[in-house]
Amino acid sequence: MSVTKLQRKRHKPTPGSEPKLEPPVERLSDKPIGIWKTAFKKFMSNPFAVVGLVVLLFFIIIALFARVIAPFDPAAIDLINANLPAGSEKHLFGTDELGRDVLSRLIYSSQVSLLVGFSVAIITVVIGSLIGAVSGYFGGWIDTFFMRLVDVMYSVPTLFLNILVLSIFGSKFSYMIFIMASTSWMGTARLVRGNFLQLREMQYVEAAKAIGVSSWGIIGRHLLRNTTAPIIVSATLMVGGAILAESALSYLGLGVQAPETSWGLMLSSAQEFMLVDPLQAIYPGLCILIVVLAVNFIGDGIRDAFDPSKKVRIPRRRLQEWRKNFSKSGI
Amino acid sequence: MTEYLIRRILQSVLVLFLVSIITFVLIHAAPGGPTQVFLSPGLSQEAAQIQAKNLGLDQPIPVQYMRWMGSLLQGDLGHTFKNNLPVGEILWPTMQNTLILMSVAWLFSLLIAIPWGIYNSTVEYGLSDQTASFISYLGFAMPTFWFGILLQELFALELDLLPLSDMYTMGKEGQIGDLFMHLILPVTVLTLGFLASYVKFSRSSMLEVLNQDYIRTARSKGMKEKRVIYRHALRNAMIPIVTILGSDLAILVSGAAITENVFNWPGMGRLFVEMALAREYSVLMAITLITAVIVIIGNLLADILYALIDPRVQLARKGGASA
Repeated sequence: MSVTKLQRKRHKPTPGSEPKLEPPVERLSDKPIGIWKTAFKKFMSNPFAVVGLVVLLFFIIIALFARVIAPFDPAAIDLINANLPAGSEKHLFGTDELGRDVLSRLIYSSQVSLLVGFSVAIITVVIGSLIGAVSGYFGGWIDTFFMRLVDVMYSVPTLFLNILVLSIFGSKFSYMIFIMASTSWMGTARLVRGNFLQLREMQYVEAAKAIGVSSWGIIGRHLLRNTTAPIIVSATLMVGGAILAESALSYLGLGVQAPETSWGLMLSSAQEFMLVDPLQAIYPGLCILIVVLAVNFIGDGIRDAFDPSKKVRIPRRRLQEWRKNFSKSGI
Repeated sequence: MTEYLIRRILQSVLVLFLVSIITFVLIHAAPGGPTQVFLSPGLSQEAAQIQAKNLGLDQPIPVQYMRWMGSLLQGDLGHTFKNNLPVGEILWPTMQNTLILMSVAWLFSLLIAIPWGIYNSTVEYGLSDQTASFISYLGFAMPTFWFGILLQELFALELDLLPLSDMYTMGKEGQIGDLFMHLILPVTVLTLGFLASYVKFSRSSMLEVLNQDYIRTARSKGMKEKRVIYRHALRNAMIPIVTILGSDLAILVSGAAITENVFNWPGMGRLFVEMALAREYSVLMAITLITAVIVIIGNLLADILYALIDPRVQLARKGGASA
């Protein structure tokens, strides 16, 4: 298709005005593309991010259909078949010291990890954004109060805080999620606050104020919406952190408790029995590593996708087409 | 400077005070909190009341807090419920053990990470840079305890080269050579974690400097590249690095909790987990407060160091250095 045709199709030149020939690259992108669409394109052109997404989807499907996929009940004890090696008939990954099927336990553990990872990230982001938004927008004593609170929370290592609170309230699964979220919102709060401090000086905020939009309206409609990208990025990276934290807490004996199963918990019993069956320590750790790597790749991908200094990669074939048209146009 | 220092120290004291209140209230107000845990099980109602009175648990929480704070300020960290041991006596030796482990790991990884990161900034996206970025991806995604367990299986069980766990072999307490052998595996685990962030950090802070105008000036007046790097870039790049080291000082006491548990290292992190499982709240509170003190001192040091190294920084401007 020639350049001139393309141009005529798009804007019909009014009679009298000469159709101006512009570089074709300009014209092909003159239709405004939204930030989300650009970001999506950039994300999909990042191979690491796409692989991460595929791997994560794989684990999500496994977690959702654990009941169907898992060959055994993960808590079924079968002492006669304890400590079977991997590759045994019926038990593909062998059995643990109580004769529980390792593969089934791995599958069910993915539910725990993903549930903790995503819910902690979501709750954290909600708490963090709210606190950050309020202190960034209103400033004054509200800001002072929350930022001192952030200082206080930061002055005790998160792991210690989690352990302390879990030991007080007990290691219930729902508690664990809330405790982990309530000890990790500080980063998001600071991020959102910093963004708000910049954004609240913008003219559109002033304009919104002038026409009488309420504070919460401005926060919700103008400021938060313009902070979405960094919030999404920090939420994604938090999923990985939460999965690691859960596995560590379960490994230490303060997280998921015995009849339930989790990769961290599996590792702690694998360490106890590593003389008997050293291979048992490999699978759960590998699962954690792969899931967290996948989530981190996705997070990096999203961050780059929203970073205007990182350009979309244009497929070479299309670039060549443009160049050809460009030279044909005679400019 | 003095004014700034005084204000920062007052702020830090306030934060510490808040930490102590929050932990105290958290522990004492919790359902099934100390009033149940502290008392010996199987007591009759009356006997329980008497014991609660003896321990001061019948008082309102603010009064209990004031009492606890009062004895804390006199250097008394309290006693454990089991065996009634003084907390300080349990705590100090474990703190030393943690310091031994962490300072070795920290110094070792800094010696690798900083030169490596600086080198990588000069050969961006080269093989060495790619390796570092691979390591940092791994370091951020790998559960440390899993790495520890794998090392144990390989080097202690399979190859039988290094000790499996603990700080000393039985009967060899206090021997440096034995300690060294026991240090290798946990230090390796910790080093991977440190490398993941420090290599990246020193690389990026160096890159930032290399993009400055004065570096271009230095290059364009024909200065040798080596001299540009070492004389002009490096000194400026060290500023953020030194600052982050100050604020990471806290890692020296708290950073090894998981690794200590994997290798059964008798340090503070392992003590904390052990005491949490045993619900020994006086020990937990003491450790929480001590780490908070160290974190706050570390941050303060970082700010002061920042001002001392970089004459452009004026501390009078609030929060200028704590970004």
